[in-house]
Amino acid sequence: MVEPGFALAVFAGLCLLLAALLWPERGLLPRWLQFARLSERVRLEDALKHVFACRQEQQACTVDSLAGHLAVPSGEAAALLTRLARMGLLRMEPDGPALTAEGARSAVRIVRIHRLWERYLADRTGVPPAKWHDQAERMEHALSTEQADALDARLGRPAWDPHGDPIPDASGSMPPAPGIGLPAATPGRAVEIVHMEDEPPQIYDALLADGLVLGGRLEIVERSDEGVRVRAGGRDWTIDPVAARNVNVRELGPDAPVEAPTATLRDARPGERVRVVDISRACQGPQRRRLLDLGVVKGAEIVPELVSAAGDPVAYSIQGALVALRSQQAAWIRVDRNGAGARPEVA
Amino acid sequence: MPSLAPGACGGCAQHRTDSLLRLGLNPDKWDILIALAGNPNVGKSTVFNALTGLRQHTGNWPGKTIVRAEGAFAHEGKRLKLVDLPGTYSLQAGSADEEVARDFILFGRPDVTVVVVDATRLERNLNLVLQILDITDRVVVYLNLVDEARRHGIAVDAARLEQRLGVPVVSGVARERVGIDDLLGAAYRVATGQRETRPYRLEELPGNVEGTVAALAGTVAQAFPQVPNARWVALRLLNADDAVVEAVRSGELGQLGDEPPPAEDAPPPAQGVRDHVLETARRLRWELPPDFQDALSERIFAAARSLAAAVRMQGLKRARFDFDRTLDRLLTSRTFGFPLMLAVLAVVFWITIEGANVPSGMLAALLIDQAHPWLHGLAAAAGLPWWLSGFLLDGVYLATAWVVAVMLPPMAIFFPLFTLLEDFGYLPRVAFNLDSLFRAAGAHGKQALTMCMGFGCNAAGVVSTRVIDSPRERLIAIITNNFSLCNGRWPTQILVATIFIGALAPAHLAGAVSAAAVVGIALLGILTMFVVSWLLSRTVLRGEATSFSLELPPYRPPRVLQTLYTSVIDRTLIVLWRAVVFAIPAGAVIWLVSNIEVGGATLAAHGVSWLNPFGLLIGLNGVILLAYIVAIPANEIIIPTVLMLTVLTAGAAGTAPGPGVMFELDSMEATGGLLRAGGWTLLTAVNLMLFSLLHNPCSTTIYTIYKETRSAGWTALSTLLPVAIGVAVCFLVTQVWRLVAA
Repeated sequence: MVEPGFALAVFAGLCLLLAALLWPERGLLPRWLQFARLSERVRLEDALKHVFACRQEQQACTVDSLAGHLAVPSGEAAALLTRLARMGLLRMEPDGPALTAEGARSAVRIVRIHRLWERYLADRTGVPPAKWHDQAERMEHALSTEQADALDARLGRPAWDPHGDPIPDASGSMPPAPGIGLPAATPGRAVEIVHMEDEPPQIYDALLADGLVLGGRLEIVERSDEGVRVRAGGRDWTIDPVAARNVNVRELGPDAPVEAPTATLRDARPGERVRVVDISRACQGPQRRRLLDLGVVKGAEIVPELVSAAGDPVAYSIQGALVALRSQQAAWIRVDRNGAGARPEVA
Repeated sequence: MPSLAPGACGGCAQHRTDSLLRLGLNPDKWDILIALAGNPNVGKSTVFNALTGLRQHTGNWPGKTIVRAEGAFAHEGKRLKLVDLPGTYSLQAGSADEEVARDFILFGRPDVTVVVVDATRLERNLNLVLQILDITDRVVVYLNLVDEARRHGIAVDAARLEQRLGVPVVSGVARERVGIDDLLGAAYRVATGQRETRPYRLEELPGNVEGTVAALAGTVAQAFPQVPNARWVALRLLNADDAVVEAVRSGELGQLGDEPPPAEDAPPPAQGVRDHVLETARRLRWELPPDFQDALSERIFAAARSLAAAVRMQGLKRARFDFDRTLDRLLTSRTFGFPLMLAVLAVVFWITIEGANVPSGMLAALLIDQAHPWLHGLAAAAGLPWWLSGFLLDGVYLATAWVVAVMLPPMAIFFPLFTLLEDFGYLPRVAFNLDSLFRAAGAHGKQALTMCMGFGCNAAGVVSTRVIDSPRERLIAIITNNFSLCNGRWPTQILVATIFIGALAPAHLAGAVSAAAVVGIALLGILTMFVVSWLLSRTVLRGEATSFSLELPPYRPPRVLQTLYTSVIDRTLIVLWRAVVFAIPAGAVIWLVSNIEVGGATLAAHGVSWLNPFGLLIGLNGVILLAYIVAIPANEIIIPTVLMLTVLTAGAAGTAPGPGVMFELDSMEATGGLLRAGGWTLLTAVNLMLFSLLHNPCSTTIYTIYKETRSAGWTALSTLLPVAIGVAVCFLVTQVWRLVAA
C-alpha cells in the first residue's frame, strides 16, 4: 500500500502543477497564449488600425505617433510601415502614410471585430466596462471573418458598439461617430452623451470614474482653457480638454430636463404604484429585451407586490402579470415615484 | 420550453405521429394549416389538446412547449393540421423560441393563426397579438381563462375587443372545452376566406423613427407590391433581421402574401430592385437612434394598454385575487416561507420513500424471485443451451427486472406528487423564495426545482431544466443536476449505511445514525451543487448569455385525475422506457464479462485485478470500480453487480447463484458478511457512499444531457467533472484517514 503522506504529497504536487499551468491570466498556458498573440501579424494589424484611425480623425500620422501608440522603438515602427507598404496595404503620401483600398478593407475588418466583441461583452457577459477594450484588442486578431459574421448574427446584427461607435456591417460601410465633440457644445444647454472614445484606456477609465455613461445627461456650465465645466447629479466638475475631446454629445432641446430621475424600481415600497421612466443603458442585450417584452416600457405602471422570503427577488405587478425581478434588475429601471398615486381601491 | 417533468416528450412529433395514425389521419397531408401562438403559460397546450383530442402534458408553468408540437383532426370534411408554437412574449426574434414562432407565422404560411390570450393578463398578451397582426391578417384570438379572470375581478368584453382588433375574438375556458367549437368555427371561416378581417394596425412611430421606416416601407412596397405588411418588413430590415433580409435577397418575400399562391405566381422583382431595397435599408439603418427598440416596445404596449382599458369591465368583486395574494403572502413570508417549503418537500419525499417500499418489494418478488426461476425452467424445458439462457435470462432479463422493480414505484409516486404541486402553481413560489441562494452561486432560482426533480431521477431533472429560459443558468442546472442523489442511488446508500455505519452505534440508535448518514450524503450533494455552480458561473460559463425573469402564475386548482394520468403515462413510463433500453445492454455486458474466460480467468476477474491498485488508492476496490464501469446504464444494479463480482473474485461460494447472475441477499447481516469477506472496511463503505454521490451520471442521463444541450463538450464536462470530483474526494478521505489511523 502506498504511504498516505507520500500519496497526499504527490496529489498536492499534481494540483499545484495544474494550477500553475491553467490559472487564469497568470498560468503558464494563458501566458504562453498572451506571448503568441504578440506576433508579427498582430503588430502589423495594430499598425494598420492606427493609420486608419488617425486618417479618420484627420490627425497627423507619423512614424513617431505609431511608435508611441504601439510602445515600440521608432525603428521598429518604421519597419512595420515599410512591410505594410510592401504588402500593398499602405502607401506613403506627402503628409504621411495612407491606406490603400485593400488596406482600408483590412482595417475596417479589424475595427468591425473589435466593436462586435465589445458589443458581445456588454450584452452577453458580466465583464466590467473598463475591461471591454483590452479583451476586444485581443479578439480582433483572433477571430476569422466567418466567426465574426456568426457572432454578428448571434447578437442580432447590432449597429452600434457599447461606446456609441458604429459597427461596420459585413460590406464594411459605416457612418462617422455620431454627435459633436463635448468642447463644441453650447454652454447652458443640456446634452446627452452619444459616444465615448475608449482609447487610450487611461482617459476612458477616468471618464467612467467621473460617472459618465453612454446615454447619460449633462448640463454644459462653461468652456474654458482648463476644459469643459459640466453639471450632473447635483455636482459640478471640469473635464480636462484632452478627455473632453473623447466624448461626443447631442444637444437636447432648450426645455429638456437635465437631471435624470434618480429613483429606481428598487426604491419603491411594496404596494406603491410607480411609473417607468426608462431602463438604464447599463442593461443591454437579452436582459433589456426581456424587460421590454415583459412590458417594462416608458410610462408603464408597476407595483411591487411580494417580497420573497429572503428579501430578493421581489415580485412586481407589470402589465397585469406578477413577475419576479432581482434587485440588480430593479436598479436598472428608473421610475417616477410621484407620477402615479396609490393603488386605487376597487369597489 | 416545456413543463418541469419529462412528459415533454408527449409533445414530440414521434409520440404524436403514433396517436395520429390511430385516428387515421396523416399529419403530412392537410387542407388547412393552423398555427397556435401565445404568451407562455396561457393554456396553449390545453387548447391544442382540446382541438386535437391528444394529451400533450400541460402544466401551470410558463414555458412548456419547446419542440413544435403538431396534430391533425378533421372538420367539415377537411383535414386540419395544428401546429403548437413555443410560448413567447414577443416576436422580436430575440431568442430561439421567438425565432421558431416568428419564422413559422411568416414563412410557414399558416392559413390562420390562433392566438391564445390569458384574460387575466390582458395587456401583456395583447402586446403579442398586436405584433402578430402586424405580420398577418388571418388571425383569430381565443380569450382563454375567462373563469379565472372573473374570480380575479376581471371581465373582458369580447365583442368590443373583436371590433377593436378587427379579427374574430372567441372567449372561453379551454380546460372545460368552453368556446372550443366556436374557436374552431371562427378559425375555419378565416382560413377559408369566408370571414374577412380588418386587423388593427399600429399607429405611427415617434417622429425621427417614423420618417425612416416610412421611407423604407415605400421602397419595399414598390419592389414587392403584393406584400401586405411592407411597414413590418421595413422595420425588420432596419433591424437587420437575417431571415427577412434573406427573403428579400431571394425574392421569396413576394410569395408570402396572405392569399394562397395563385397559379400564375408573380415573378419576383429583378435582382437590381431587390438589392436596391437592401442597400436602402443598410443606409437608413444608421439614421435610427440606438434605442429605437425601446420606442417600438413602448408604442406596442401603449396600444395594448389603451385596448385593454377599453374592453375591460371594471367593478367586479375580486374574491379570488385576494385569496391568491393572501396565500402568496403566507407562502413567501419571511417567517413561514422556508419552513412551509421544507415541510412540503419533506412530505413529498417521505410519501415517495415510504410508499415505494411495498410495491418495490412486491415487484422484486414477482419479477426476480418468481419469474426468473420460472423462465429458467421454461428455457431448460425448451432445451436452450446454458450460455443462451444465461445471457438472456441472467444477463438481459435480470438487469431489466431490477431496474423496473427499483425505479418504477418511487417514480410513479414522486412524479404525480410533483406534478400536482406544479399544477397548483406552488413551484414558482419555491423558486421565488430560493432565488437569492442560487443567485449567489450564479444560478437561477428555478434550479431549486430541477434539483428536486433530480432527487427523483437525474434524467428527468435534466429535461426539467427547460423551464429555465436563460441559457447560462440552464447549462449550470444541467451540469450540476447529477449532484442530486437520485432514486436509483438511495437504496445503495441506505444499504451501505445500515451495514457499516449503523453498526457503529448502539442498537437502539442504529437506525437513526444510518439515516443521518444518508441525509448527510444528500446534503453534501446539495453543497457540491452550489460550489460547482459557483465555480462554473465564474469560469467556463462566464461568457454565456443571461436573462433572469420569473413569472408567478395565478394559483389554479390542480386536476388530480388528469395529473395522475399524464404523469404516470407520459412522464414515468417514458423515463422508465429509456432506462430499460439502457439496462438491457448492461445486463448483457455484465453476464458476458463474468462468463467469458481468457487465459484461465474471466474478463471480470482480469478487470478487477487490473483496477484494484487504483481502487485501493482511493479507498475503494477493483470490484466497485468495475461495477461502476459496467453498470453505467443504471445505478440501481450497482449493488447486485458488486455482490456478484465479489463472489466471483473472492470465491465465497455457497451464497451465490452463479457467475454473471446478479443477486441480493435477504438479510443485511449476510450481505455485510459477504462484503467483509470481499475485503470491505468502514473506510470502503464511506468511500462507496461518497463515490455513489460523486460519479458520472448514468448513461440515460448522459444521453438526455446530450439531447438537451446538443453539445458533445457540455455532455463530456457533465460526465467527467463529477467523476473527477469523486476520485479526488475519495482519495483525500482515504489518505487522510490512513494518516490519522496510522
